[in-house]
Amino acid sequence: MSAVPLTHVLAVAVALFSLGLAGALLRRNAITIFLSIEIMLNAANLALVGYGAHVGGYSGQIVAFFAIAVAAAEAAVGLAIFVSVFRHNETIDVNKIRLLKW
Amino acid sequence: MSAPRLIFDIAGAAAVVFAAILVVHRNPIKGLLAAVVSLFAIAGEFVLLSSPFLAAIQVIVYAGAILVLFLFVLMLLNLDREAGPEEGHRMQKLLGFVAIVLFAGMMLAAVRSSGALAGSSGEPAPTGEVVPLAAALFSQAALPFEAVSILLLAALVGAFVLARRDSAPRPPEERP
Amino acid sequence: MTPLDWLIVVLRVMVPILAILMFLPLPMWAERRGAGLIQDRPGPNRVGFFGVRMFGLGQPIADAVKFFFKEDVTPDEADPFLHTLAPWIVMFSALSTVAVIPYGPTIEIAGRSIPLIGADLPVGALYIFAIAGLSVYGIVLAGWASNNKFSLMGGLRSAAQVISYELAMTTAAAGVFLTAGSLRLTDVVAAQQTSLLRWNVLPQFFGFIVFTVSAFAETNRVPFDLAEADAELVAGYHTEYSSFKFAAFFMAEYTAMFVASAFIATMYFGGWSLPFYHPVGLVGGIVSGAVLGVKTLVFLAIFIWVRWTLPRFRYDQLMTLGWKVMLPLALANLLWAALLALGGVL
Repeated sequence: MSAVPLTHVLAVAVALFSLGLAGALLRRNAITIFLSIEIMLNAANLALVGYGAHVGGYSGQIVAFFAIAVAAAEAAVGLAIFVSVFRHNETIDVNKIRLLKW
Repeated sequence: MSAPRLIFDIAGAAAVVFAAILVVHRNPIKGLLAAVVSLFAIAGEFVLLSSPFLAAIQVIVYAGAILVLFLFVLMLLNLDREAGPEEGHRMQKLLGFVAIVLFAGMMLAAVRSSGALAGSSGEPAPTGEVVPLAAALFSQAALPFEAVSILLLAALVGAFVLARRDSAPRPPEERP
Repeated sequence: MTPLDWLIVVLRVMVPILAILMFLPLPMWAERRGAGLIQDRPGPNRVGFFGVRMFGLGQPIADAVKFFFKEDVTPDEADPFLHTLAPWIVMFSALSTVAVIPYGPTIEIAGRSIPLIGADLPVGALYIFAIAGLSVYGIVLAGWASNNKFSLMGGLRSAAQVISYELAMTTAAAGVFLTAGSLRLTDVVAAQQTSLLRWNVLPQFFGFIVFTVSAFAETNRVPFDLAEADAELVAGYHTEYSSFKFAAFFMAEYTAMFVASAFIATMYFGGWSLPFYHPVGLVGGIVSGAVLGVKTLVFLAIFIWVRWTLPRFRYDQLMTLGWKVMLPLALANLLWAALLALGGVL
């Protein structure tokens, strides 16, 4: 049992996740969408660590640690893709990048 | 209201407020700075949840490396001026926002009612010490540890290949 | 917690910060006079008190007065919020890292045991790396917000340099943590306390070299000062800064030098401890603080000495050194430290 009650942790995590989801769905700037996804990942990490503190053991922290490492790899590759796409289209407005549409 | 809980609530409020600034603000660089503060607040929350190691890793890796990479991309491609006004679809955005708020409430209610809030595993609560975490990491999670290092290598090579300009001259196009 | 307990905590944290701020004019003066000494010229020796020219000791005061009275200019097209924020990020980062460096043992005063450290975190050294990494934002934002190509280039170069040398630095430090068995800086000092041969500089000499070189790179000091290269980039990322904001960058650089020197002294030279001396009580605490202070000043002198002796590295030479020389050397040192720990030597 930790000093911080689990409901507080989950409330913050849910709020962050929803904000990240809102940003990813409602914005048109590709970098902002990417950052919102990172906020969602952080919300998940917070929930993991919160449960770990509540339930005992170190599994929560270990999974969150791996999640951070994988998020780093994903950010690197994602930004590389973004840079290539930007070079081709010269815009970062996702509504205007429509090469795959019919 | 004990001190750790109070500080956690303040950090949580800060994290949420700055994440909201990221979502709402038009300038991507200001949004990125807001994201940095939000991640820093989350690191503070990790400390209050007895994981100072993860808090340090969060600041070093997430706020200090990943977001710096984002900042580099924004600055080198000069994307500050790209942030034009996001016109139109007001109703769509409003409805989307309402839907997401309902989703948040639904998730919280679902977690509350599922009984996942009670119970604990047999293991003792994590202290702030690094040695037990390291023992668990290198014994139970040794295989994922090695796998993640190979994943990082793959990501490194992939990012390098994807982002480089084609230096070889293109063969003449064969379209009719 | 009683008010007295709070007062003790505040004093514990403020003592090193106040010490640094009080001693800040010292490297400022030493830099200018040391430069003169190395370059076979007098250096500033005119400023003094009441007509007595005391080795130019008044020079830092003259500099401070100059900074106060200069006009504070913000460039026209620049973003004023970011422009103002940047120096304070660097200042915050430099001052916050002081909190986890131990300046004495846990002393007993009037029945209370007081650890002479700001905050004895279980991940003390990682905290320093984390906060030092945040200074990158201040530099890059300063470069960007100045709306000036030279500043931007200086800022981005500096950020790339800091990130590259951070890797070598943490890998070299990992060797020290391996033999000390902990990330707490009090444990690192305790592991070096028993004898002079246990000072980490001796068994892990190459790690010490890598760590010190990386510390030069992290604090943007010559030969790694490409970010503010006077002859190439005007003044790099702080070209468009004047008066108080420039003073903030200036102070932040010297504070970072102080902290880096104290960190090197703690990791490799035993910190506040001397092998033959066992500090007791308040006097012991003060002597330990003085020991750490002397070791820090020795490294500050080395920082200044190197600055005026070596020419500046070119950017590609800098990156080659960081990735192809320092990182492999740090990894080899880590392997060596692992062998030492496994063999039961340390």
